[in-house]
Amino acid sequence: MSAMRRGVRGSVVAVVVMAVLSTAMVPLRSHLSVATTALVLVIPVVAGVVVGGLPAGFFAVAAGFLVYDLVFIPPYYTLEVGASQNWIALIVYVAVMLLVASVVARLERTRIDTHQREVAVRRLFELTDLLIEDRPLAEVLELIVSTVHGAFGLHSVALMLPVDTGLELVAAAGEPLSEHEQRAVVPPPGVPASLRAAAAGDHDDFQTVALAATGRPIGLLRIGGPALNPHDQELLRTFANQLALALERAQLREQALRTELLEEVERLQRTLVRAVSHDLRTPLATIKMAASTLHDDSAAVPPAERVELAALIEEQTDRLDRLVTNLLDVSRMESGALELHAEPIAVVDLVHEALGGRQRLAGDVPVATILDSELPLVEVDHLLIAQVLANLLDNAARFAPPGTTVTVSARPSGPGLVAMAIEDRGPGIPKADRAEVFALFARRGSGGGTGVGLSIARAFLAAHGQDIWIEDAPGGGARFCFTLPVAAIASVVP
Amino acid sequence: MLVVDDDQALLRALRIGLGALGHEVVVASTGEQGVSQAAVSSPDAVVLDLGLPDLDGLEVCRRIRQWSDVPVIVLSADGTEDRKIAALDGGADDYMTKPFGMGELEARLRVAQRHRTTGRQVAEAKELAVGPLELDLVHHEARMEGRAVELTTREFALLSFLARHAGKICTHRMVLEEVWGPHYGTETDYLRVYVYRLRRKLGDVDGTFLRTHPGVGYQLVADAG
Repeated sequence: MSAMRRGVRGSVVAVVVMAVLSTAMVPLRSHLSVATTALVLVIPVVAGVVVGGLPAGFFAVAAGFLVYDLVFIPPYYTLEVGASQNWIALIVYVAVMLLVASVVARLERTRIDTHQREVAVRRLFELTDLLIEDRPLAEVLELIVSTVHGAFGLHSVALMLPVDTGLELVAAAGEPLSEHEQRAVVPPPGVPASLRAAAAGDHDDFQTVALAATGRPIGLLRIGGPALNPHDQELLRTFANQLALALERAQLREQALRTELLEEVERLQRTLVRAVSHDLRTPLATIKMAASTLHDDSAAVPPAERVELAALIEEQTDRLDRLVTNLLDVSRMESGALELHAEPIAVVDLVHEALGGRQRLAGDVPVATILDSELPLVEVDHLLIAQVLANLLDNAARFAPPGTTVTVSARPSGPGLVAMAIEDRGPGIPKADRAEVFALFARRGSGGGTGVGLSIARAFLAAHGQDIWIEDAPGGGARFCFTLPVAAIASVVP
Repeated sequence: MLVVDDDQALLRALRIGLGALGHEVVVASTGEQGVSQAAVSSPDAVVLDLGLPDLDGLEVCRRIRQWSDVPVIVLSADGTEDRKIAALDGGADDYMTKPFGMGELEARLRVAQRHRTTGRQVAEAKELAVGPLELDLVHHEARMEGRAVELTTREFALLSFLARHAGKICTHRMVLEEVWGPHYGTETDYLRVYVYRLRRKLGDVDGTFLRTHPGVGYQLVADAG
């Protein structure tokens, strides 16, 4: 196809060059010897061969013969040759030109071959370089098929890797394999398949190349396209070995990553079990200790302390209840069952809901509420946001030193937002640790819980499209800030 | 009585509960405080939570052990054996998994106290008595409820080691290193066989006197039955 186009192009070049040279020589032809014009007419033939190969060369020789005879050998513009020495000139011209054409064509062919070989070798080196890089398996597979496809000028390349039941097509370049062709390479169990893959009328040559590294089968490369010359065959074999090694390396890398991941999951699970059992069993221990003391007839518990024990039991039961709620929320979020029922509500109602009628938090920590007098209604799911507030208050209470107060505040902020903040006078959180605090099962310093509460707070706010962050509270301590959307109804109702 | 725990609620419950039983209670909420309180107030027993914020509970136990033989009872939330074993190997006398009742804590404290008093006497003792068992350490003779028991050298070594630490849970490693030698520690099968033989010879068929703590170790119980 392209050879024919090339031949035509070469012929056109030869004719054009010949026309130009002839036109230039016509006014001078009476002064030029027959041999000189023959020498000049070598040029279009060589040009034709270089551009168009041997067929164009032959065409140029024929054209040169006609032009030489018609234009430069008297009598002009007839095929008659006249003098016998002109016959000799004409025959020598044709003979020499044919020789020149074939020699030049062969040289040109060699030049093109060498160039192609260079390109292929360069591609091979480029591929080797690329394969040395640390890349995921999928990328390596794509790289292999596209490089093979390009380097050998193939029509289709398919790479198959062994799986449990046989071979599986993992990457392909060029024309996709038909179902028939796929079956020919990897027949389904029990189905006879012809090894003659090419359909009638298809002139492509099909080959399969087995890839093996360190004696282990790695995969199968199936290529379709023009028949490869012996040199390319050899190159493909070298290629195949490189590919097999690279594939094996990528597979091993993938395996190592999977193992690492499994180890990480296992480590997380251990952390989780430890964190949850600590958070569930510590309140249980307090409850059981208090209850068994109250129950023990031999123990002399003063009335004031009986009340304290009863209060402890109540407080720790609440703590357990919140933890169980949080854990259930985690599983609800993980199963994607979190539904948002946003409705307009006053911030003060959210705070009351979060406190559940308490004036003091766990550990007898007092709460102060500072709400801006111009607070608009917010549009949130009150159950979720009350849980966010409860978790943040719980967290603040855990870090509040004895005798200090935890503060909840809210004020309008920016367009359509209310900013809320929960402050404690505890040790605060270093800037470097602030991002980690919200991670599931991250524990924060002294007396830290499972970290479930804060990660749930963040998740619930994210469900509202809102953000949560940590600042330094003035006078030390941590300030958890978050935003809530203002209810749209406020601007509608007069 | 020193209680080291980072959970304020549990600390309060323990203080009231132990106080009601007539103990004087000192509390600490960090490991560092715990170590210094153990030195300052020289308690009769230490109740130590393994999950402390600053120091690992095991480390606190090891530090106290460097200069004191005060009984240490460790509390842990996860009932995993490796933590218990590490605590016992680190010098703890007993462990309890949360949650626990007042009665259980009191019983364990009592056992630990008695172990401490006997432990002080056994250092130079020539004879030992643990419940119905009497051991003559000089002549390597054992009597159970007054009746002589024939023991091999190693059986006697094992029994006398447990008797010297009566009331304390001895981990597999502690027993193996002491009775078999410093290169042993994981050959728990040896122990199973020897304990089986000892129980038969002592007539302790139901294992209430020589008690097994599965996966952890063995304990000779002074007031069995």
